[in-house]
Amino acid sequence: MSLPANHLLCIALLLMVVPAAACASPVTRSLSTAEPGAGEVFTVSLSIEGMTLGGVVETLPAGYAFVATDLADDRVLARGQQVAFAVMNDSRITYQVRAPASGSGDITGRWEDFLGESDGQVAASHVAADGIEAPVESGGGDPVPPPSQETGSPFAVLAAVAALLLASGRGGRR
Amino acid sequence: MNRRCLLALALLLIVAAQASAAPGDGIPGDADGDRVLTPAEYTAAALTYLDAAYMGGAGELTRTDIQDAAWISACWDGRPREVTDSSGRTVTLYRPLRRVVTFNGEALETLRSLGFDMEKVVAVDKYSKEKSTFFPECREKANVGSIWSPDMEKVLAVRPDAVFLYATISTAACDDIQRKLEASSPGIRVFRFDCFKPATYPREIRTIASMAGKSERGDEFASFYTSTMDRVRDGTAGVPADERVRVYFEYWFDYKTVAAGSGYNEKLELAGGMNPFAGETAEYPIIDPEAVIVTDPEVVVKLAGQGLAFGGYAGHDIAALEGIRTALAQRPGWTSIAAVEDNRIYVIHSDILGGAQHFIGTAYLAKWFYPDRFADLDPHAIHQRYLTGFQGIDFDLASEGTFVYP
Repeated sequence: MSLPANHLLCIALLLMVVPAAACASPVTRSLSTAEPGAGEVFTVSLSIEGMTLGGVVETLPAGYAFVATDLADDRVLARGQQVAFAVMNDSRITYQVRAPASGSGDITGRWEDFLGESDGQVAASHVAADGIEAPVESGGGDPVPPPSQETGSPFAVLAAVAALLLASGRGGRR
Repeated sequence: MNRRCLLALALLLIVAAQASAAPGDGIPGDADGDRVLTPAEYTAAALTYLDAAYMGGAGELTRTDIQDAAWISACWDGRPREVTDSSGRTVTLYRPLRRVVTFNGEALETLRSLGFDMEKVVAVDKYSKEKSTFFPECREKANVGSIWSPDMEKVLAVRPDAVFLYATISTAACDDIQRKLEASSPGIRVFRFDCFKPATYPREIRTIASMAGKSERGDEFASFYTSTMDRVRDGTAGVPADERVRVYFEYWFDYKTVAAGSGYNEKLELAGGMNPFAGETAEYPIIDPEAVIVTDPEVVVKLAGQGLAFGGYAGHDIAALEGIRTALAQRPGWTSIAAVEDNRIYVIHSDILGGAQHFIGTAYLAKWFYPDRFADLDPHAIHQRYLTGFQGIDFDLASEGTFVYP
């Protein structure tokens, strides 16, 4: 079974656009500096709006290391290049990151609003040690893709199925 | 197997997989199993979930689990919720309601008044489904029939976690549905509420609000409801029994009236009316036309609705209600009765007197019976506020629907 390229494009667009349109991100990130010095500790701030109970998982570029946060220890979990924060009525969470001797990359993030039953991505923030774009020196943990199965957006599932059926139906009439 | 079949199969598998997690007893995340989700347990559960979902960690909490845990933490203070329904039965909830079936349209309406997420109502009774103007969101929901002819297969197919039935009417039919549900699927919680009786509605509002995690909204709505009903009660409290307005209340069908025990009679009396036929044996007796003339009612109220299908939410037809009123005044022998002489014949639609909106109709009755005592009561404004502020529907009474005449 194969689908024409334009149909695949249609499906891909639906999968990308529908979840993004369904919910605006309640989490935005800012950095004290996007060009930290080698080994410098810089601050990442997450501004959170309208999320009572939820979570944010940040993924740091390889070589960058999580140092500390202003949240209580029992609300933070660090594993490899990733840090999870349990959000509880917070409007702002800050954490510190140590830059490597050299290397650049994106800090990426995912958020979930448990009460609002929505989720999405935090826009990526680019960092480069000493402002120099350079490949990372050592590999970090690969970010785990967002949960699928029940965690998949029903909009995305329905959109994909609808697109497939549409594509299938159109193909059949030819 | 062609491509369409494969796609249909895939869709079914997706739906089945998403629906397979049936919540059991116990609050998700309650690590020590003491039936209380402490803030510390909730936080640990949230991190365990995030770790498993995004960071490659181990953990068994699903997204639904953590969403339920968050909800219980926020709405029920981390504790299970004991609910005593209007049948007197107590049920303990360990999870929020996610898949609700309503056989009781009044309970459905009450859920909407409380701001319950109507997406979580997965199936409704056939009458609510037919009211597409008032319940537009129910057009696409599954239809489970009525309490007298329930589609039990459909009920089970939508895998509800809660089913709402009536508490004190049609009890045999509702008991039968409840027995079948509990026998076939013990995980289904059955709740019995009426949501149309003045005596029990305020308590039912607060109970359902508590179940739905909408206690504040429940207090607001119950206060709104009670303020109208109390205004009516207070306004008629000082009227001596022998000075109460004599009212002939006619049901949809000619010369079919109401007696003690019927809901309409209760509202008529709440509004200060004296029903000369209250002592009849049947709740809805058919009376001799001559008897109406003999009792010489000061006010006549005619009910429109299902059996006299004019007006209501579905129709903006003032002329039809006017025609009903004119026909009443022209009945043989009626020219001499006080209500006709004084031009005090009114038509009211059952949409605002028989169900959850009975407080609106009761306000109209009070105003008709005692215009001086209720000069400041504005049932039309109460009705519009109910629709806009509590039902959340875009319905302008100035141009849509017809509920009373004149």
